Amino acid sequence: MIYKCQSCGGNVVYDPGLRKMHCPYCDGIGTHLREECRGMEVCQNCGAPVDAGDYRSAVKCEYCGHYNIFEERIEKEYQPRFILPFRLGKKDAVEKIMKKCGSRLFMPETFLSEASLEKMEGSYVPFWLYDMTADCRYNGTGTKKRVWVSGDTEYTETSYYQVIREMEADFEKLPVDASIAMNDKIMDLMEPYQYEELTDFNPEYMSGFLAEVYNQPAEELGDRANEKVRADAKVMLHRTMNEYATLTPLEGNIYLKNRVEDYALLPVWWYRYRYRDKDYDFFVNGQTGKVVGKMPLSGLRALAYSGTFFACVTTILMLIRAILER
Amino acid sequence: MSLKKFFFYFRIYFIIIVILAVVLIILNMKNSDGAYVRTNQDCATAERVFDYADVLTDAEEEQLRKLIAKSELETGCDIVLVTLNESLKEYAERYEDQLGPLYTSEYVMVYADNFYDENNFGFNRVHGDGVLLLDNWYREADGRIYSWLSTCGRVEERFSSDMIDSLLNDALENVDEDPYGAYRKYVEIFTREMKDGIHIPVWAVILTSGILTVFFLCMHLADYSNRKTVDENTYLAPEGAVRMKKKEDLFLRKTVVKRKREVSNGGGGGGRSSGGGGHHISSGGVSHGGGGHSR
Repeated sequence: MIYKCQSCGGNVVYDPGLRKMHCPYCDGIGTHLREECRGMEVCQNCGAPVDAGDYRSAVKCEYCGHYNIFEERIEKEYQPRFILPFRLGKKDAVEKIMKKCGSRLFMPETFLSEASLEKMEGSYVPFWLYDMTADCRYNGTGTKKRVWVSGDTEYTETSYYQVIREMEADFEKLPVDASIAMNDKIMDLMEPYQYEELTDFNPEYMSGFLAEVYNQPAEELGDRANEKVRADAKVMLHRTMNEYATLTPLEGNIYLKNRVEDYALLPVWWYRYRYRDKDYDFFVNGQTGKVVGKMPLSGLRALAYSGTFFACVTTILMLIRAILER
Repeated sequence: MSLKKFFFYFRIYFIIIVILAVVLIILNMKNSDGAYVRTNQDCATAERVFDYADVLTDAEEEQLRKLIAKSELETGCDIVLVTLNESLKEYAERYEDQLGPLYTSEYVMVYADNFYDENNFGFNRVHGDGVLLLDNWYREADGRIYSWLSTCGRVEERFSSDMIDSLLNDALENVDEDPYGAYRKYVEIFTREMKDGIHIPVWAVILTSGILTVFFLCMHLADYSNRKTVDENTYLAPEGAVRMKKKEDLFLRKTVVKRKREVSNGGGGGGRSSGGGGHHISSGGVSHGGGGHSR
């Protein structure tokens, strides 16, 4: 589908600043009209071919710049339960990157150039949000130590305790990204999202952005969610046993139960920068503005800056030395 | 563009360098030879090397005079060397009424102080800044050879007893084999210690800036990592999420281990005094510092 402007015929997109559908061509607000797509091969607006790939549910036509949303990838079993609409527009996202990277010294000159930043695209990444309960059972031996001195003798008292814990913890909406194209570690670093703004799915929020349908079913990614919950539960459990100097477990199990999941689309700005034949991906959380990514490092600049720093500091110290030693 | 940013980043460093360089140039211009100007016109003699024991050749004496003349201008202090080869017992005993009973090791002190006072030594004024080394080659009744370093004025203020001891020990280490070398060392060590005494070795400077540069690099590279912003509580359900169903801590037993403590004789000596070492008043009523050495 394409959202077209009733007044001018342009492509109406969701504006994160206004939080409304906005026509960038005639500045109309709420003038959109939904127009269904003819399959996933051609642009609904100009008829040029578009590449839907295996998972793309929203694409930008390379010729006319209109955003096409593919119904068959957002309906029925592919319909997301929730969507978290973009809160940051492209300008805000650029600002966030500038703020984080602007002061960095060893960055290639062109990294923050307007031309390369302009290519940045906002994308809804498919996520599974898991709810589950962790049932933690612990039984072990804990020790506490007490040391005191009397005369010239040092006493070390070790007390042994049997430590038993049974704890249940409910986890909610733990996100696992269901996009093969997105690096799992990077997506983990994008967290957290503020779920208060999570709303029922509405395709209007997708207009103006790229999107993917989930690449893997919830079952397949369940293990990743389990792993995360287990790690969190373990930390919580051990926090209740902080007072012990050492702990030797006899039994320590975390059982997971009542797992359910929801499919959601979460917003991410994606900036790809090419430096010396290598791609560097930068991501900005489309809601909170957290910036994650591996910065390209210019070896020449690192060398020039640290070399000059060394020369300056040495010169300053030598001058001070000369003045003091006069 | 890139260069502009580069210079902008280092502007403060460049400014500091320029300021320091200007300061250094001005300081150097102020006394161009790094030299002090002699203001004591009443000194009884222009001689500085009094080799009464005749342990130096004429050529060596001449070399010493040259070195002393140069060092005097650099330090603003009179630098005097006296060698003797006679017992000072009788000489010193004459002053016991005035100075109180004297040890054998102090005979050289009396002579050194008097020699300094009587010749009106002192670079800035009579009995002003200066130093005198008396090396008496005569073996006194107790079989020892005594030397004395007498300090006056600024030198007295600067030289602590420790500094005097270390100067005498270092300089007179091989005086029996090489008197000329020993006296040269005396002048050199004195000059070095007197010239504000701060010696920063070049390697220390390079090492310091090396370490700072490593910090600089690490600091700027650290920016390149990403931090995790969720913890174990992030995805807990809002209310009643954690239910502690059983929490038991049952005491089982305790053990006590005894260990004899080793008593350490920690702590250390007191701080080192700075300057004013061996302060006393000479028979002529002049304040002197000083210290002795025997061999």
